[in-house]
Amino acid sequence: MSTAAGADRRRRPSRGGLAVNRWSLLVLPAVVFLLAFFLAPLVLMSLRSVTDPPGAGLSNYEKFFAEEAYLRVLTNTFWIAVISTVSCLVVGYPFAYLMTIVSGRVAGLLLIAVLLPFWSSLLVRTFAWQVILRDTGIINRFLLDLGLISEPLTLIRTTAGVILGMTHILLPFMVLPIYAVMRRIDPEFGRAAANLGASPARAFLRVFVPLSLPGVVAGSLLVFVLALGFYITPALLGGLRDQMISQLIVQQIQQRLDWGFGTAMSVLLMVITLVILFAASRAVRLRDVFGSAVEE
Amino acid sequence: MRRWTAFPALIVIIAVAGCSTGGGTATGSASAPSAVTPSSEASAGAPPSGGTASAACNPPKQEGVTLTYVSFGGAYQEAQRKAWLTPYTELTGVAFTEDENSSNATIKAQVESGQVTWDVVDVGNDFGLDAHKDLLEPLDYTLIPRDEVLEGFAGDYRVADMTYGVALAYNTDKTAGQIPAGWADFFDTTKFPGKRGMWDYSEGGIFEVALMADGVKPADLYKPKLDVERATKKLDTIKNDLVFWSSGAESQELIGSGEVAMTLIWNGRGWSAKHTDKKPVEIQWNQQIVTADYLVVPKGTPNKDAAMKFIAYAICADNNAKPSEFIPYGPINKNSKPAPANVADLSVSNADENSAYFDDEYLIANYDTIDAAYQAWKAK
Repeated sequence: MSTAAGADRRRRPSRGGLAVNRWSLLVLPAVVFLLAFFLAPLVLMSLRSVTDPPGAGLSNYEKFFAEEAYLRVLTNTFWIAVISTVSCLVVGYPFAYLMTIVSGRVAGLLLIAVLLPFWSSLLVRTFAWQVILRDTGIINRFLLDLGLISEPLTLIRTTAGVILGMTHILLPFMVLPIYAVMRRIDPEFGRAAANLGASPARAFLRVFVPLSLPGVVAGSLLVFVLALGFYITPALLGGLRDQMISQLIVQQIQQRLDWGFGTAMSVLLMVITLVILFAASRAVRLRDVFGSAVEE
Repeated sequence: MRRWTAFPALIVIIAVAGCSTGGGTATGSASAPSAVTPSSEASAGAPPSGGTASAACNPPKQEGVTLTYVSFGGAYQEAQRKAWLTPYTELTGVAFTEDENSSNATIKAQVESGQVTWDVVDVGNDFGLDAHKDLLEPLDYTLIPRDEVLEGFAGDYRVADMTYGVALAYNTDKTAGQIPAGWADFFDTTKFPGKRGMWDYSEGGIFEVALMADGVKPADLYKPKLDVERATKKLDTIKNDLVFWSSGAESQELIGSGEVAMTLIWNGRGWSAKHTDKKPVEIQWNQQIVTADYLVVPKGTPNKDAAMKFIAYAICADNNAKPSEFIPYGPINKNSKPAPANVADLSVSNADENSAYFDDEYLIANYDTIDAAYQAWKAK
């Protein structure tokens, strides 16, 4: 509940003009690090999209928009990211809620369940899904042996397969921010609502859900942006039409060595993502969204 | 206005989270046959002899030289190490540092930044052409025996070190005793039911094998141009049966497990499915595409001369077939004879008038149109 005070504290040094708080110098290494190893390379690489080949101008971008197939991959990338986000939310929200209402010990176990997959590589987890889902995989073998089906079900090489794999990988990024926010919601609010005559469902929908929204937005943004960069999961679990733009970028950078075109695609992806985040930042109070981490 | 100040913070948080997830973990290299597990009995064959002993095979002592050799790791690089690197060190005193992540992009980055630390690099057939002349040293053919190299496998900036075949592998359980005769049978899902594996890469052979299945002679694949339209029409006939793979390990697993009845495969991976994984897998060599990995020297390396001497040694008749004792790849030198026990498993021994060859120059010059057509076909 110290949002205002926190903001005040943060602003005080700059308001004092010359009187810079000496402690704030501690962020200097972080700033220098980000500038030197993150921002500068990013700017240099982005510039290549208009300077490679020499005198390229916007030709790399024209090349991209001239090809319908590339555009379709780009739209498909955002589409898959959106569905993955929704799917993570549908699974993650009830899970996070469950964590807040069970005992501390069970909540701890649930937390471990969410975090455990973090410790195995993305590639391994995706391959595991392959083993489970494919025509000669566990599910189909089982159903065939039982005689329930005569032809293998098409579980893999579909958009649904991609979403399943991505949801599994991205779920922690949805659950953790939502849980962080839900945990701070005072249970007294619910009791107050009940006191005023609200049914449990109404109290949940009108009081608890709105208070948890900052966590939902934070989780959704994280999952959405991370999902945009996926390419192994769609390559292994998806079908022909589930291509994502990272796959094209890798091919241009690694094999084709057309760094101008590759960076043009990267810049496009980045710009569109930034626009979406910017729009989101106007729609919701990001301070509330990411304030939780600061205040705890 | 105040709430907007959180925007940069959000970007940083997401960027940091992105770095930690491995949302973009690299896939296996798409440009080379790479790792094949060696067989236990492979090293039993006697070292091959034959070929004329040239100066290339007998390099002088070069004390104090260290070369950085880069290849694709795994059993593949292990075979090269045993066949070429270790004997070369014994012979000349040249020491080797190795890297196992050969990448065209890394060569480009090293040359552009002027920090060239790689001396000899094993690359796929999509690199080392005239289009890359700014990145590579011209090879010294006064040392390297160019006339002994198979026709079409030595260029100004690259020379092939090992051949391999892009071939048809089939799972004998799935084909029920029948033997697919070539790519036409690959496209015949009535005669041979089951799924088909394919490399998810526009220039990895997908269009070439479709055209051969459609009756185009191997020699006419690129004359006057690769007929992408005809190829995609043929591919449409089995579009729903295709399973795409993006790494050699995947192809080996797909065919071994029977998830697909047939697949396009790098011959070493088919060999491993059969001999290492003990799966019912065979290779149909008819209409294989013979291709190769190449050695190149990044432009600006301080060890250029030593690099050329080593390449000459690896290509020379006495040594070029040696890796085939450990792995079913090679040789490229016409006078270099592989050990008799390994001959049957090699691409060059199975090359005939039905074999095709990638036209690397054509493919690189027309990449944009070919790849765009491929992407369009996939998305259709």
